[in-house]
Amino acid sequence: MTFRRLVQLAAVAAVLVAVALSTFIALRLLGGKTGGAVQVVNAPAELVARGKYLAEAADCAACHSAPGGAPYAGGLAMQSGFGTIYATNITPDPDNGIGRWNADDFWRALHDGIRRDGQQLYPAMPYTSYRGMTRADADAIYAYVMQLRPMKVANLRTQLDFPYDIRLGMIGWNLLFLTDSVPAASTGSSAAWQRGRYLANVLGHCGECHTPRGMLGQMELSEPLTGFALGRVAAPDITPAGLASRGWTAASLRTYFGRGIAGPASAFSDMHQVIMLSTRNLTAEDNDALVTFLLGDKLPLPAPLPPADPAVLEAAARGAGRGDYVALCAGCHGLEGGGVPNTVVALRNNSTLRLADPRNLLVAMLDGIRAENFPHRASLQAMPGFADKLSDQQAAGLANYLRVVWGGQKPDVTAAAVRALR
Amino acid sequence: MSLPTRKLTVTINGQRRGPIDVPEGMMMIDVLHEMLDLTGSRLGCGVGICHACVVIWDRDDQTSEEVQTCITGADFFDGKRIRTIEGIARTNDGGEITALSPVQQAFLDKFSFQCGYCTPGFVNAATVLIERLKRAPVPRAEVEATVAAALENHICRCTGYVRYYQAVRDVILTTPGLTRDGA
Repeated sequence: MTFRRLVQLAAVAAVLVAVALSTFIALRLLGGKTGGAVQVVNAPAELVARGKYLAEAADCAACHSAPGGAPYAGGLAMQSGFGTIYATNITPDPDNGIGRWNADDFWRALHDGIRRDGQQLYPAMPYTSYRGMTRADADAIYAYVMQLRPMKVANLRTQLDFPYDIRLGMIGWNLLFLTDSVPAASTGSSAAWQRGRYLANVLGHCGECHTPRGMLGQMELSEPLTGFALGRVAAPDITPAGLASRGWTAASLRTYFGRGIAGPASAFSDMHQVIMLSTRNLTAEDNDALVTFLLGDKLPLPAPLPPADPAVLEAAARGAGRGDYVALCAGCHGLEGGGVPNTVVALRNNSTLRLADPRNLLVAMLDGIRAENFPHRASLQAMPGFADKLSDQQAAGLANYLRVVWGGQKPDVTAAAVRALR
Repeated sequence: MSLPTRKLTVTINGQRRGPIDVPEGMMMIDVLHEMLDLTGSRLGCGVGICHACVVIWDRDDQTSEEVQTCITGADFFDGKRIRTIEGIARTNDGGEITALSPVQQAFLDKFSFQCGYCTPGFVNAATVLIERLKRAPVPRAEVEATVAAALENHICRCTGYVRYYQAVRDVILTTPGLTRDGA
């Protein structure tokens, strides 16, 4: 029995004991409410506007809207290692949404992960991060969502495997993992840094994707924002050191959060949605604060693209990877990796190529990237996937060529790594 | 000045061409136009979106697919078999066209295009589709959706697609063996 396995069993045992204990406590203390009066909230316009801003900063709509569905009407399926969780309708519909919730109910969901009916939420709803929210901000978001158009969209039933389907188990999980504050990945003390910490760790809940998760799905708070693959596309390391190692600067990060495209980096997959629904709406001050927190008060020096070993470059130029690049990629990305302005991103110094982990590069090569619109009427065309045109060996060779020539990384991608992502 | 070159040998419309020296990084559309005197394929967007430039790549497993020649380097086609718009109609030994393909004829009959710039791409896409349906027929009820899915990537700026789609649908419905439940 490995140590990991032992820890896993111990953790499960702890959770089960906690479940038993907490069942008793829960039945005594947490009696929830069903039915009740439909809430009518007549909040002043300024409060609603502030709530809208905060709801966008907290990116509620990203999960609480199904693809193509009404905003905030729920329905997005979130796959996890434990089963599928469906985001719920948070419009003020009395029967399907939160029309009967008062501000206290709303606060309890955000702060404690408990629904109005007393049931535990799963941490796919990031109350683990929102717990740090001020009551005033939670009330403002409540005022905003309560004046949305009520949508009669029924909630889908979350389907988790046993024993995770026992919601009371989350009481034990919360005892183990719910903390009042998520640690900072950078150092600082300025007002901007403090505000940025609130924006990143609480509202933006960056760590929910970018912080590694343990076996029970908890954020590993000892290594915040160091990157994790929750889904097919990995959320990269966004610690000051991680960002600097890929050449990010305060200026390029501000551009990225505002526009989604910064030099050779463009947001794709889930991060594209974060830009579109959330960060692009931040005020200049908040954008700056977010960047200040991510990089720290003392800005790290961005690492320039390291000059590759001439012998390695020479080998890459003669290898099969170069041939496949010229045949399949150069038509858009250019022989020198320069891309096409406003149309195709450059590959030289591209943030994804500069990641030590080749995962996102391989996923982009195999699956392609959807065409997306960006703020300020920018758009990037679709990148086709090449899964059917590249063998595992070819894809590995191509990835290694790209990494060496334009990413400053080692040519250590294997065919097996490609196969694992097919 | 001399550009680095690579050797290209490719079978086009049943005829083996090459080996020719192609400058490294030259896209296939330019090789067709400038080096092989096959000017029927159209260069549109140049970034692989409009699909005016597609040729048919005949794979060894008897399946075929469209490839955008504006973003695909000549090198990709080395040793491969392709068909271009010049190879779709039936020709006699003298190279004269004796009969249009059913798809080409239908496009004319239905007035599917106006300026015709996108037409070679549509012909190739519809040809690939019909050959695929010969191998794997679809239920009649799915023809409309099948046509839409197959032609969806092709952009036409004149006619609004309807007559292209109608023409391909009619070819499929009137050609025996392309649909499953009744011809």
